[in-house]
Amino acid sequence: MTEDFKDNKVIHAQSSETIPGGAGGSVPDLDYVRPAEVSDQDLYHGHSFITKWVFCQDAKVIGIQYFCLATFTGIIGLILSWLMRLQLGFPEAAGFMTAEHYYQFVTMHGMIMVVYFLTALFLGGFGNYLIPLMVGARDMVFPYLNMVSFWSFFVAVLVLLASFFVPGGPTGSGWTLYPPQAILEGTPGSGMGIILMCVSLILFVAGFTMGGLNYLITVLQARTRGMTLMRMPLTVWGIFTATVLAMLAFPALLVGSLMMMLDKLLGTSFFMPTILKAGEVLEYGGGSPILFQHLFWFFGHPEVYIVALPAFGIISDLISVHSRKNIFGYRMMVWAIVGIGALSFFVWAHHMYVSGMNPWFGFFFATTTLIIAVPTAMKVYNWILTLWRGNIRMNTVMLWCLGFIVTFVNGGITGIFLGNVSVDVPLSDTYFVIAHFHMVMGIAPLMVIMGAVYHWFPLVTGKFLSEKLGKWHFWTTFLGAYSIYFPMHYLGFIGVPRRYFEMYDSPYMTSAVGMNEFISLAAFLVGAAQFILIFNIIKSLKTGKVAGKNPWQANSLEWLTPTVPPEHGNWGDRLPVVHRWAYDYSVPGAKEDFITQTTAPSEVADTKVEKT
Amino acid sequence: MSDPKIEGYEFKPGFGGMAADTASDQTMFKGVHWGKAMMWIFLLSDTFIFSCFLISYMKGRGSTPVEWPNASEVFGLHVFGVDVPLLLIAIMTFVLITSSGTMALAVKYGYEKNRKMCGWLILATAIGGLTFVGMQAFEWSKLIHEGVRPWENPFGAAQFGSFFFMITGFHGTHVSIGVIFLFIYAYKTFAGHYDERKRGWFTSMKGDYVEIEILGLYWHFVDLVWVFIFAFFYLW
Amino acid sequence: MHAGIIFFLVILGSVLFHIFTPWYWTDIASNWGSMDDTITLTFWIGGGVFVAVCLFMVYCVFKFSYKEERKAEYKPEDKKLERILTWATTLGVAALLAPGLVVWNQYVNVPKNALEIDVMAWQWGWQYRLPGEDGKLGTTKIVNINDNNPFGIILEDPYGKDDIMIQSDVINLKNNRPVKILLRSVDVLHNWYVPQFRAKMDAVPGVVTYYWFEPNKVGEYEVLCAEYCGVGHYAMRGGVKVQSEQDYEIWLQEQETFSELIAKQKKIELNETKLAKK
Repeated sequence: MTEDFKDNKVIHAQSSETIPGGAGGSVPDLDYVRPAEVSDQDLYHGHSFITKWVFCQDAKVIGIQYFCLATFTGIIGLILSWLMRLQLGFPEAAGFMTAEHYYQFVTMHGMIMVVYFLTALFLGGFGNYLIPLMVGARDMVFPYLNMVSFWSFFVAVLVLLASFFVPGGPTGSGWTLYPPQAILEGTPGSGMGIILMCVSLILFVAGFTMGGLNYLITVLQARTRGMTLMRMPLTVWGIFTATVLAMLAFPALLVGSLMMMLDKLLGTSFFMPTILKAGEVLEYGGGSPILFQHLFWFFGHPEVYIVALPAFGIISDLISVHSRKNIFGYRMMVWAIVGIGALSFFVWAHHMYVSGMNPWFGFFFATTTLIIAVPTAMKVYNWILTLWRGNIRMNTVMLWCLGFIVTFVNGGITGIFLGNVSVDVPLSDTYFVIAHFHMVMGIAPLMVIMGAVYHWFPLVTGKFLSEKLGKWHFWTTFLGAYSIYFPMHYLGFIGVPRRYFEMYDSPYMTSAVGMNEFISLAAFLVGAAQFILIFNIIKSLKTGKVAGKNPWQANSLEWLTPTVPPEHGNWGDRLPVVHRWAYDYSVPGAKEDFITQTTAPSEVADTKVEKT
Repeated sequence: MSDPKIEGYEFKPGFGGMAADTASDQTMFKGVHWGKAMMWIFLLSDTFIFSCFLISYMKGRGSTPVEWPNASEVFGLHVFGVDVPLLLIAIMTFVLITSSGTMALAVKYGYEKNRKMCGWLILATAIGGLTFVGMQAFEWSKLIHEGVRPWENPFGAAQFGSFFFMITGFHGTHVSIGVIFLFIYAYKTFAGHYDERKRGWFTSMKGDYVEIEILGLYWHFVDLVWVFIFAFFYLW
Repeated sequence: MHAGIIFFLVILGSVLFHIFTPWYWTDIASNWGSMDDTITLTFWIGGGVFVAVCLFMVYCVFKFSYKEERKAEYKPEDKKLERILTWATTLGVAALLAPGLVVWNQYVNVPKNALEIDVMAWQWGWQYRLPGEDGKLGTTKIVNINDNNPFGIILEDPYGKDDIMIQSDVINLKNNRPVKILLRSVDVLHNWYVPQFRAKMDAVPGVVTYYWFEPNKVGEYEVLCAEYCGVGHYAMRGGVKVQSEQDYEIWLQEQETFSELIAKQKKIELNETKLAKK
């Protein structure tokens, strides 16, 4: 990235330089951008309702489909969490719930939220909608494959939900699906439940691979003229890197699921050692349960960043637009995303410090894990330094961003406890872990999703969401969620283990009863608050303020389409030509406080703008 | 391979050139077809799948307390009164590698727009693949006949059967999918779909000879994976 | 403005909650005070960063809220500042990591004089085995487990004969004597965890895992299973009694050895056959 081009048209950001002024012709090739390398994309335009809205090949529609289906499964996950909190806070009111039910809810809540909600929403939803628009492409490069990707996800969700209705119910082996218990009696849903779970995951991975190939090739090979990698908005960088992680991490999940299914169906012993159950030795032997844990977490840890990196990217753009200031240290941000992505493949066993693996691994994985803290901290500094001397619009979108910073820093710091091997020993498998990962990969990404919804809703629908309802939504969600998870850490300090259906009256745990009741009440409130958003969406679609073009005065390409909302093909007759990065806000000397990516240098002559 | 001609873009040699390509606009891999780039990335992902399988195999082989069967005996073939170790596998490997050669030639003739030659070579590749799958079916049935099952086998550790059937099965599925596509592509070549740039039935995208190269990449990858499976299962 | 105040109150509330919380760790009863120390250290450094970052954010909200006439600063990057921040963070992280690794080194290296205890887990319960006078545990095999041989000890192994079997979910430990917990499971994953001892490790079927600690406070503690093991997970409790040396010896004398158990079984069988003959 340090190589200058011979023709001097594309130069990396180094120093501020005044664009030479003088009207007309003194610098004739100032606006020159090299011609297109490939001919315009050939698109299939739907004609009927079915090809336009159901089996649609337009990435934007596919994105909305992903978004809706992921939200739907997310609501199921939310309801499951309510039921769990009912049991934990008010067991006498949850008399209908057995331990089997509880563990099934725990499992399905975890799996749904991590894979079918967050991953699908960030990559499938935001990825599909935003990537082609932000890089200036007409669509994803393989629209047909993209459509199949969504429908594979659809079938995966169907299979997942079907497991609620099979004999024995869905699997209740925890979202980590650890064998041997996942496929043995004594765990709920150890029959059809776990099989359907594995099938659903395999379908999800297959579908995701098709989508992921699209995102990657669109970013690598289908950018518009002038759009270099280092001019892309950080949203695209985040989703792109997350997709790379997904392409390399999901194989481990696929293999693990497949092998577990064979253990269950054919009686192989990949993960099954000799086991004595109810006085009888089972026909298994010689397998290694820890192998599954390695496979699972080789997927599972990058998965955390598959959720986090798009969130990092999106939040960077939102903060920048709404503080009317360039993102601070753009290149550092890009390298941090890439670095975190690469490192995330070398830290997986920090989930396994007390799993019984060779304890000497602890040294290595603790070191790599804490190294990741450095680029992550840099990102946090850059977000708050972007606010510094900005001109911060305190609207709903910005509130979500600030909420994200608080929850993410909180969850990130507790991550340092758990990543640091011996500090992890007393805390692992306690409520501290639950509080940590909900804060850092539940609430923080949720804040980003919500911010993104409020930010891009005008683009997708042409209407603003109601600010008043939005603020109610934000404050109940933020304060509620923080009061769920902040105190929950202290339950972990007491030593309350996770995945306990009932606490009984252990002397040091009775003090937790009051807190559990409080947390449950907060959880009910936060869950209910999410319906404010649904109400807001319906209301705003009907009576919302009309947004018009580029309502936030943003720079990136998605706001610069000829029609709002953008049509199939995005750009009308001519593709946009990009002249700068997406963060030229409040440039000294410029008339407006923003210069869009397509603004030609000659139009903003005499401004002191960064060359990118 | 020479660089493609791109208007307004100058290629540079070596790492500087790579950095320049990366830093440029529009495309990172200059002149590379979208589908071809996609296949490369898909294969990278697929490599991780096979790596997970093979690493699991090594771990499984290490953790089982029962003796691992002797590969050259289990996979030996008794022909004309002599025990020849690994005979069938040698032939299978030879056939598959040869089919890689015919595939490469098919790609070459495809780009030369030599429809007939290209079609025949794809067909030859398909038949090579089919032969491979057939011999694999023979080997499977021989082993099953001898009592090897995914959950047990008379020669030693049960994991031997589990891993063998799972991994060769997964690879065989890859080969079979490749064979199906080879037949389809052979038909499309003979029918002239690539010359006419006829639109595909599913994707409605225009046909192009580059599709043969993309399938070729997949086919070579499947061969390469076989080499690893061969080394890990039959020689270790 | 209001937003800034609320965010400030959230930060303030977090700090106050931490200072005045009635929920905090249980009194430690083992040698792993060093783990508590590393947690405290992480709290100081991490908590400091959390408060600093959030207060900076709140300050920005107060100071730089939108004003029509103001223009934001245009400053894409500041190499020097970024470098300082990177190094400061690296230093902080190293300061957290180093003690963590030192403690982990102690955790994985068991002292020579540690008493080995075989902790056997199943769905859903615990039982324990102590070495006899020879100081060594006999080797075991899961397939050998039956009513007469509850631990699956290999009968030919001479070390196994004098092993002391405690077929109860409560184990007694000698105060101030390090113990090496050897964990095994006959079915699924479990984890023998006493919050007051801080330490824990999974029991994995098929392998023997270990960890060690030195109880240093006489008393009775509850054992919890800390790795999900099926529907009975939450009910899989046990107990530990840490005793003074005299009390411990008295208790130990009352326990049965493997050979005693075999003898008793044989006697019962003999009686049964006699009865049958009559």
